[in-house]
Amino acid sequence: MSGSQDRHVDPERALLSGEGAGQRTGEGNERFPVRSHRTEHGSPDDAAAGDGGTTYYDQPLLKEPIWIWSVPAYFYVGGVTSGAAIVGAVAQLADRRGLDRLIRRSRWLAGGGAAVSTLLLIIDLGRPARFLNMLRVFRPSSAMSVGSWALAATASAAGASAVLPAVGARRLGDAAGLGAGALAPVLGTYTAVLLSDTAVPLWQATRTSLPRFFAASATVATASALELFPALDAREEAIARRLGMAAKVADLVCGEQVQHQADEVARVGRPLHEGASGALWRTAKLSTATSLAVSLVPVPARWRVARRILSAVLGSIGSLAGRFAVFHAGKRSTRDPRATFVQQRAGRGAAAMDGLAGVTGPAGRRATDA
Amino acid sequence: MSVSPGIMPTSTESAELRAGSELARDHRGEFDRGDGHALPAGPKGFFTDTTVCIGCKACEVACKQWNQLPDDGFVFTGTSYDNTGDLGSSTWRHVAFIERPGAHPTTGFADMSWFEGDDAPSAPVAFGPDPQGGGDFSWLMLSDVCKHCVHAGCLDVCPTGAIIRTEYESVYIQPDVCNGCGMCVPACPFGVVDRREEDGRAWKCTLCYDRQRDGLEPACAKACPTDSIVFGDIDDLRAIAEERVATLHERGVDSAYLYGADAASQPGTQGLNAFFLLTDAPEVYNLPPDPVDPTHAVGAAWRSALVAGAAMVVAVAGAVLSAAGARR
Repeated sequence: MSGSQDRHVDPERALLSGEGAGQRTGEGNERFPVRSHRTEHGSPDDAAAGDGGTTYYDQPLLKEPIWIWSVPAYFYVGGVTSGAAIVGAVAQLADRRGLDRLIRRSRWLAGGGAAVSTLLLIIDLGRPARFLNMLRVFRPSSAMSVGSWALAATASAAGASAVLPAVGARRLGDAAGLGAGALAPVLGTYTAVLLSDTAVPLWQATRTSLPRFFAASATVATASALELFPALDAREEAIARRLGMAAKVADLVCGEQVQHQADEVARVGRPLHEGASGALWRTAKLSTATSLAVSLVPVPARWRVARRILSAVLGSIGSLAGRFAVFHAGKRSTRDPRATFVQQRAGRGAAAMDGLAGVTGPAGRRATDA
Repeated sequence: MSVSPGIMPTSTESAELRAGSELARDHRGEFDRGDGHALPAGPKGFFTDTTVCIGCKACEVACKQWNQLPDDGFVFTGTSYDNTGDLGSSTWRHVAFIERPGAHPTTGFADMSWFEGDDAPSAPVAFGPDPQGGGDFSWLMLSDVCKHCVHAGCLDVCPTGAIIRTEYESVYIQPDVCNGCGMCVPACPFGVVDRREEDGRAWKCTLCYDRQRDGLEPACAKACPTDSIVFGDIDDLRAIAEERVATLHERGVDSAYLYGADAASQPGTQGLNAFFLLTDAPEVYNLPPDPVDPTHAVGAAWRSALVAGAAMVVAVAGAVLSAAGARR
């Protein structure tokens, strides 16, 4: 433990035993560079169009989520895991024998995806060695706690469903496949609940539309992943294509709903229109729409594989970009204190919650009146 | 030469300012015995009266020193006398300086014409918008801290159980359990909790849990020279705060009100165990006007998620069944 220097304490003369004495200091590390929590005054990004009332020197009110790229990447991979587990289970119930190859592929996709998901989440932790603490308690009010258990259970079942048949335990594998399929819908949607389980204004505003969008995005990603497998037979191809088309329509509709909910307070929805997050959001919509259009274009038989691959690649890009867009737009909305102020003054704070009501302070007093 | 009512209150004014905290002064001994015995369990907290804060930052220093917190860089903000900026993983008390046009709410001191008497500097002093140094200008100061919400977002979303509620109803992060998942950081509606990146764990004010266990009041309250920060039983603090607001209203400071003193005035958190007396809108102090523990809203999200999850299964079933007749 370094840090007597940063504490300006002579270790010869003082015992480091305070509540904060164990806090490590240093120059940061590669994954998590030291970030100043102070905004530069008047930075064009956040102070842009300084309307919307008084702030404290344009300092952010909230702390920006500290999650790294691996979290939105997990949203995508976890979505594929969830969708593949459902496809495996449903195909198993519909035609265990006839769809055997699709079931096997889905199970490996789900099992592999769950393993990658777990790794992506562990590397995001500040103390990766303590990842098992995630299963130390079960807390229903914490979407992350519910999700950790859901991932642990789905990953175990999906992994077992892939591996067991290979070692001869076919019946057990089938049972595990059904178990994974039953748990998977939670895995595919809880990530949206997790985002809205924060004070981030954009994620708060979209708390009912985001789960639908994430479910659709997960299904697009799954169908696209299945379409990328080589040498699909006509039935497998039809399943992936039809699932993908339905999911892409749902993705585009739910994406509009997300945007509509976010834009109800203009300041809150701004990151979906501006900057890198806005560009990602437009990329997602365009890519998904193009993917849908490509899969509908009639082509001669020899072009069908090319059409399938192009549609699948565009669908995957759309799903991935959508997750990163929502993630970065939320981060960006925490940098704007006015987003929260205006949202809460518009009656969308406690006033909008079940059984809660009210705005703090003398009614009608506005910072701008001062 | 007349005695000016400068930035520092005059002696009579000072006595008046302190009148509201006499009660606090009397009851302080009870919470700062220093006899090594833990304070009795029960809700404890802070009442921070911003009208008597002089911005000396003794609380910031006392907090850093007692808790042996590392520095978090030395930055010149260039915006005000506040070079701390905000609360963070290694800053558990933060004094905000609000420079604004208009009279100070309690001293009523606005025009600074006293500068023109015998004390007047020989050259005009640029002090506010009026280059002559008159200026219609005042400061507000607030010592910010973790609010130890009755319904605490950070605690409710913590997946490891690292964040607990102590016998003093304060919200405490156990450093030996926290795995740095970062969930509590955006869940705090006040932007209090943060992760020190080199450390990898989330940190915030402990309400000096260690001092309370030794029969001492928290370091910031102990160091506060004007009793702007008062520590004690929540019920006592509410009584003191209400009395102080009544006194201020009597004296014509109509803008004084309590922020987060109870569940009725701040339903989203069900009240704060560290609440404030403010004289301007919360936004001015970088406080949210209607904060919410985000877990209050999560039910609607879960309902939507369950419907969406079911729709995924239906879509897959539709695709699989409809493709049954596809050509081989």
